[in-house]
Amino acid sequence: MPPASARLQRTALLYLVVGIAIGATLLAAKGLGFTLPYVPLMLLHAELLLVGWLLQFTMGVAHWMLPKHAAGPERGPEGPVTAAWLLLNAGVWLAGLGPVMAWPAVVGGAGRAAEVGAVLAFAINAVPRIKPFGVGRLAG
Amino acid sequence: MDLLLALGIGVVLALRPAEVPIGLRPTYLHLFIVGWISQLIFGVSHWMFPRASKEDPRGTEWLGWVAFWCLNAGLLLRVITEPFAHDGAGGIFLVVSGGLQLAAGIAYATHIWPRIKER
Repeated sequence: MPPASARLQRTALLYLVVGIAIGATLLAAKGLGFTLPYVPLMLLHAELLLVGWLLQFTMGVAHWMLPKHAAGPERGPEGPVTAAWLLLNAGVWLAGLGPVMAWPAVVGGAGRAAEVGAVLAFAINAVPRIKPFGVGRLAG
Repeated sequence: MDLLLALGIGVVLALRPAEVPIGLRPTYLHLFIVGWISQLIFGVSHWMFPRASKEDPRGTEWLGWVAFWCLNAGLLLRVITEPFAHDGAGGIFLVVSGGLQLAAGIAYATHIWPRIKER
């Protein structure tokens, strides 16, 4: 698989483990009745698992498996995918840690904006690769 | 199975929101996101990712089984106990449920990591 896919998938696996660990801690707190800053940690848990794990892993697999181009770089330019990886991970940490660290709301907003930028950057690479079977070979 | 259970709970939540234990909402979400989406990703990646080696294409397959059993046992325990757990009640079962799901995540990540191969 291309290096950009491997990078996205490995990073996603790290978020999977960290995200579940936070969730398990919250579940233990609920069960044993000890107090944690529940809402900020729950938001971080959701951010790590929904964006850091699910979205990022899916991006990695999509970049690897979507139809290839017949001419030029077979998976299109790598630059937008690398930009997507950088923006997505900056976004996960800013949006996820914002509530935990009690950072101003603008930090969380910047994180979410970075995530939007990540999806747009990823789409630059992926959208031209979404095509009916056989079209790429004929049209190039 | 988890998807059907999640959607079934979703029906109950939609029809009788006031009568459903509050703990059933996170159960519903986790059945959907962990039991369905994440478990499907685990299964498809185990099937489709590059071979670990020619002799041992799926790599540490036993870790895949550990992930499967821990994830489903942890979720099942959660489904049974979480709706009734509050203020410390149900305690140790939720701790075990969280521990099993964490073990599943670690087992899966350890299993699939060597099969993420750059070319």
